[in-house]
Amino acid sequence: MGFNDARFDQILFLLLFLGVGIATRDWTLRLGMIGAAIATCLITQAIAEWAICSRSTDSPLNWTDLKAKLPSALITSLGLSLLLRADHYSTICLASVLAISSKFLLRVQDKHVFNPGNFGIIGALLLTPDAWVSPGQWGAGGWYVLLFAGTGGLVLQKVGRWDTTAAFLGSYAGLEAGRNLWLGWTWDVWAHRLMSGSLLLFALFMITDPRTIPNARMARLIWAAAIALLTFVLRNIYFLPTALIWALFALAPFSFVLDACFPASRFTWQRSTEPAAPTPKPDQPTLLPS
Amino acid sequence: MKSLKIFLTLVLICLICFVIAPQAWAFCGFYVARADAKLYNQASQVAIARSDNRTVLTMANDYQGEVKDFAIVVPVPVVLQKNQIKVAEPKIMERLDAFSAPRLVEYFDPDPCAANEYRFESAPRPAAPAMAEAQDAMKQRRNLGVTIEAKYTVGEYDILILSAKESGGLATWLVQNGYKIPSGANQLLQPYIRQKLKFFVAKVNLQEFDKAGFQSLRPLQISYESPRFMLPIRLGMLNAKSAQDLIVYILSPEGQAETTNYRTVKVPSDTEVPVFVKDEFSRFYRSMFQTAYNREDRKVAFMEYAWDMSNCDPCSAEPLNPEELRQAGVFWLDSDRPSESNQPFLPRRPRINSGVFITRLHVRYTRDRFPEDLMFQITGNRETFQGRYILRHAFTGEMDCKAGRQYVRSLPARHEQEAQTLARLTNWNIQDIRKKLPQIQSQILPWWEQIWLALSGRI
Repeated sequence: MGFNDARFDQILFLLLFLGVGIATRDWTLRLGMIGAAIATCLITQAIAEWAICSRSTDSPLNWTDLKAKLPSALITSLGLSLLLRADHYSTICLASVLAISSKFLLRVQDKHVFNPGNFGIIGALLLTPDAWVSPGQWGAGGWYVLLFAGTGGLVLQKVGRWDTTAAFLGSYAGLEAGRNLWLGWTWDVWAHRLMSGSLLLFALFMITDPRTIPNARMARLIWAAAIALLTFVLRNIYFLPTALIWALFALAPFSFVLDACFPASRFTWQRSTEPAAPTPKPDQPTLLPS
Repeated sequence: MKSLKIFLTLVLICLICFVIAPQAWAFCGFYVARADAKLYNQASQVAIARSDNRTVLTMANDYQGEVKDFAIVVPVPVVLQKNQIKVAEPKIMERLDAFSAPRLVEYFDPDPCAANEYRFESAPRPAAPAMAEAQDAMKQRRNLGVTIEAKYTVGEYDILILSAKESGGLATWLVQNGYKIPSGANQLLQPYIRQKLKFFVAKVNLQEFDKAGFQSLRPLQISYESPRFMLPIRLGMLNAKSAQDLIVYILSPEGQAETTNYRTVKVPSDTEVPVFVKDEFSRFYRSMFQTAYNREDRKVAFMEYAWDMSNCDPCSAEPLNPEELRQAGVFWLDSDRPSESNQPFLPRRPRINSGVFITRLHVRYTRDRFPEDLMFQITGNRETFQGRYILRHAFTGEMDCKAGRQYVRSLPARHEQEAQTLARLTNWNIQDIRKKLPQIQSQILPWWEQIWLALSGRI
């Protein structure tokens, strides 16, 4: 993982958010749980890589390959730690195993069907009685909105996926504004709903995972707007507090449909490990042909 | 791969089932005075027993005015039938309050020269805001777009369930029928009407009230089924001059409840404070809560208690018995417990589960910091929490040993620590606190003797 790898930034920022959350937000987050998530994700990733390599005869697992894959597992584990809460270690471990396994078992054309962290959270919510997500854990408003926006902007600029966040937040803000207008609430209600730390974190760091979102820009815009719409419906008509997570889970598989309609190159993280490729501009990731 | 497909299908089916089930609901109205009496609901207590989408809501307010002047308007999700409305035992809110209130515990230091022994007992709790309730009258005017969906007399209350087409009509109707509504109610009713909520309007039936001979108004209890889990505090802020306190007791078969659109923060707890706090615990708790409230920028919900209802440690009141739990709205104890039957998917250590978990949330809200109604969720979090403050009484008997002298020497530092903790928690002046601390040092040894003893290694 080189320094120009956006994953490095992402790991750094997610660690920062965890630190900030634990220090200033009165979270009931135990360090042991974070450790369990990290360890389980890394081990699952390593085992899965080993299993794949041992099946194919030509290339045994080597450390360099594994090293290139582990940062993604670390990001997943940090994302899980930020969002998912549980009473028992076994629940966190289950979510971590589900998250990483989904990357290997649920893939089409070498692309993940689900966002791994999202899949792990949904799995834990469905399969265990003690898992939960706290949408109110960051509160609304405050300096960390700037923190999220700034750090998220840096990562997205590197990855080149800011359009997804803009489309999601824009559509969601528009829908909420429409509802606010129709109901006749004052505008501070609208602002309060949009300044939710959880919403921003989701928009900047979760739905933008380049390995699960559509490849073409137009497809990404449509996809992000669809997630915003479903989130809006689940939240305001079905009163689901975790609407964001369910909306992403439900619509993730549609990125393949959109990829079929809007063909484009597939994203890869490994800019630094592609010496043969022409030197990319600093603000653009190398895209592999699909 | 096949089993994976089956699993995925199941997941998607669960998702679809979870998503289908609409409807809506809400609480916490503003008071509506019929006369000129200025009514401000400064503090309210609400108990919500909830399992799945089924909810039993018990409302009690601290209304202190004339009974005939009282009325309450509460948005509700559906037209309630008569048997969905009850008058609850007034004692039940007191019991919930007593069981879950922040508590002071005291320990007595053992004789440092003797074998260890200690005891503790719970001390007085700060009383939660008192409660009361009342209502008002009305007649039907269809041309205002207001429909009386139902009309009941339950206990000492006359109850109307109204639906309205537009807020102006509803406001006019309320005024024409003798309710004095706060200015601004007009605009604020509109969002609730648009969400197709009904309005539960209750007033006191004076004849019934006099016949029964009650001293104060009993809590109203309503039951309904709706996925919406919220309290509409916006209406309650209309006729409140200052910040209002709302204490919500949420009873669930699962675990802790929390707010989903505001942060839920635990009140400071488990801290040692000077023993004089025993005589002014109410004042201490009020100051401490206010300090914590300011520190959190006045925009969080505080958790004061979270515990399984089967036990407590230490108990400030006995746990509620099954009959009392039923009175508080718990309806699932006779049937299967959802949390137990759901999913022993992973092997788990056994844990105490009486089937009822209580969360006490204390929200102090103002219009500027709480623009939205409170939304809640119940989580699987069964971690226990209590607002608990500790007094440690120093040993005052004869001490004639080295350990005793060390103990005495350690006391001033301990008291200073307690004083600083108290000052930090309450924002009280540290000098004032220090004046109230026990004067240990002066009673023991003059300073030159202490130096001499320290030098000679005797203490």
